[in-house]
Amino acid sequence: MVAKEKIKNREAILSTANNQRWEVGENFHDTLMESIYSNASAIAKRSVTLPAQKETINWEKTLDKILTSRYLGFPIMFLILGVVFWLTIEGANVPSAMIASFFLDTIHPILKSLSASIGLPFWADGVLIDGAYLAMAWVISVMLPPMAIFFPLFTLLEDFGYLPRVSFNMDGLYRKVGAHGKQALTMAMGFGCNAAGIVATRVIDSPREKLIAIITNNFSLCNGRWPTQILIAVIFIGAAVPAYLAGIVSALAVVFIAVLGIVFSLLVSWGLSKSVLKGEASAFSLELPPYRPPRILQTLYTSLIDRTIFVLWRAIIFAIPAGVVIWLVGNITIGGETIANIFIDWSNPFAFILGLNGVILLAYIIAIPANEIVIPTILMLTVMSLGLSGVGEGAGVMFELDSIAATEEILVAGGWTLLTGINLMLFSLLHNPCSTTIYTIFKETKSVKWTLVSTFLPILMGIIVTFFVAQIWRLIASI
Amino acid sequence: MNDPLFTLLIGSGILLLAVVSFFPQKGLFARMKRTRTISKKILIEDALKHLYHCEYSGVGCSIESIAGKLSISEDDAAELVAKLEEMGMLSSQRDSLQLSNEGRSYALRIIRVHRLWEKYLADETSVDEREWHHSAEEFEHKLSSSDADELAAQIGNPVFDPHGDPIPSTEGDLPEKKGMPLTALKFGEFASIIHVEDEPDAIYQQLVAEGLYPGMQVRMLEESKERVRFTANGEECVLAPLFAKNITVEQIKLEKTIEGKFKNLSSLKIGESGTVLGISKALRGQQRRRLMDLGVVPGTEITAELKSVGGDPMVYKIKGASIALRKKQAERIYLHSEKSEMN
Repeated sequence: MVAKEKIKNREAILSTANNQRWEVGENFHDTLMESIYSNASAIAKRSVTLPAQKETINWEKTLDKILTSRYLGFPIMFLILGVVFWLTIEGANVPSAMIASFFLDTIHPILKSLSASIGLPFWADGVLIDGAYLAMAWVISVMLPPMAIFFPLFTLLEDFGYLPRVSFNMDGLYRKVGAHGKQALTMAMGFGCNAAGIVATRVIDSPREKLIAIITNNFSLCNGRWPTQILIAVIFIGAAVPAYLAGIVSALAVVFIAVLGIVFSLLVSWGLSKSVLKGEASAFSLELPPYRPPRILQTLYTSLIDRTIFVLWRAIIFAIPAGVVIWLVGNITIGGETIANIFIDWSNPFAFILGLNGVILLAYIIAIPANEIVIPTILMLTVMSLGLSGVGEGAGVMFELDSIAATEEILVAGGWTLLTGINLMLFSLLHNPCSTTIYTIFKETKSVKWTLVSTFLPILMGIIVTFFVAQIWRLIASI
Repeated sequence: MNDPLFTLLIGSGILLLAVVSFFPQKGLFARMKRTRTISKKILIEDALKHLYHCEYSGVGCSIESIAGKLSISEDDAAELVAKLEEMGMLSSQRDSLQLSNEGRSYALRIIRVHRLWEKYLADETSVDEREWHHSAEEFEHKLSSSDADELAAQIGNPVFDPHGDPIPSTEGDLPEKKGMPLTALKFGEFASIIHVEDEPDAIYQQLVAEGLYPGMQVRMLEESKERVRFTANGEECVLAPLFAKNITVEQIKLEKTIEGKFKNLSSLKIGESGTVLGISKALRGQQRRRLMDLGVVPGTEITAELKSVGGDPMVYKIKGASIALRKKQAERIYLHSEKSEMN
């Protein structure tokens, strides 16, 4: 009886409270906030004495004026980012070659002879040394140097306070496609590494804009894809024009692909913000921190540990099993044919419709851990499926050739044409992110749905684009 | 088979087909989903909702009005009413239809879900204002009561929807209807908008396009049979009386109102300062909280500092920090005009 009375009482109180809330109205929270602020400022006024007010430092204001000025803002931005990319690409060549020669030419033979001396069976030697070890060595040698250069430079710019100004300038463009100005930064970061670009989207604190930045980051041509683009452009596009134009035309082709990536990222941002991402909240604000001298040592430490090593570690973890798979598909045979050859023959008709070939499709599937090992995988598969002798390192062993001419020879022998080259460049831009990036997307979004969207949306676009390019190309060629 | 023209045509055909079927909202799939949902249950719920709205606003309700509202034939409407009577949801006395207690609480449950969903869309998503109502019309039939309670808890148990309508409590309580139509204001009177009716759709779209929303201060300038002229937050507005009737206002005491046009943050030029008067109600949810967290509250002084390359966004100095805001946001932050500052 008493308990019943209590419940009745409680309900009466609750419903009174509810009625009061209608009376208080909607402004309640705002009013509360306002009074907290006014209380706080009254207290601060009473008890805090400020030193005589200094004029805001003049050079900061002048620098801001220059960096955001109508005529100089964008040229300065292109110049600074251009220098960073140039330093990354140029500066990474030598250390990359050194690391590669150490891992591939020095350590690899030692491991091989070691395994021979302890009598390791053929398959264990292949899986462990030619598969897992080689894939890992490849990933380290091509990924480490560019990242070790790019990330510190980028972090220095961020630390100094320049990058927030870039977001500020770029926001006008990104606002039009429903995104956040900071996406310009995560996109630029994506040119270094998509996984790092996706980690960088943490700076976007509006949920909808953050998702847009994550899903479109893959359209930034990352470090692992630049060498592929350059190699294929030199071989196929450079060869299609007169020799004195070859250099400039192939360079322009690569730049065109990168710009195409930016265009796609803007278009897809727009489409996403108008459709599937309407359900996410959006709140814009951007703080421009004061300029400060970059803390060089700290920057080096954090960018090397937090970004470079972090990304590299994830890449290695994924590269090792992939190396095993790559070796196995080249060595396991069913009815006298390797799995790789069976898949290549089976997928060739479909690949033909896309202007590609089965080797490329298989390479993109098994080289999912890193875009860097796509070309070595393609070369290995081509040699194997053609049964060429005298080139390469044997079934399931990835390799790269020192001379571009030799690479061209193999590819042309594999039936590659100018169309294959162009479509490979397009497909390299528009395909699924590498497994490191996919895993990072999942970590950041904690959502299977958005991870799947970010993975399959680019492939779908790649299939559509290469399909139409191939058909129209052939149509024109047949006339 | 490998004729490029042939493949090209097939490919374009597949692409076209995919676009036509999966296009959001207008595609075949979306349409199919929509038509399938018009079931008996939805008709019953919509009819109850309509009956409740009539009761709340004190208008009579008939079989004809149900038929009109639900766009069904009068025969179907009569059948529906018979069915509702059989279920004990309503009783027809003489000419008017009367909701039973059971019917009323059912209707309130549906209305609760509808308004909660609108509040959710307004505060937690970036869905456009004009789509809130349509989406809520769909979700009110889908969400169960317990789902709705969960949603309410998640968004802080709101008591008003974004149009200013009270949200029924779980027990089905609703406050008395307050305020009066805008057309009842006399020349020179001040009031604040407390509700913008979201039905019929055509009128609501027009009101949204005029930028009218709950919380605005209005002052009547002219009220005649042909037109209603008034200022809303200082901006002059002309509406047909039919439209103005859909706005509910509440008279306010004179000393709180601001004369003349409201000045907003976006009108500041570089180097100029102003004192915040308030944030417009049109900035909601996260966006509003973010601004308040940054210190955009009444009394804060803000200085315009810097323009970006394109002119939008601009940097403002707020409590010592440089914050970039977009024009659309700055337009919705009101400042004291010089005149009121002198007082």
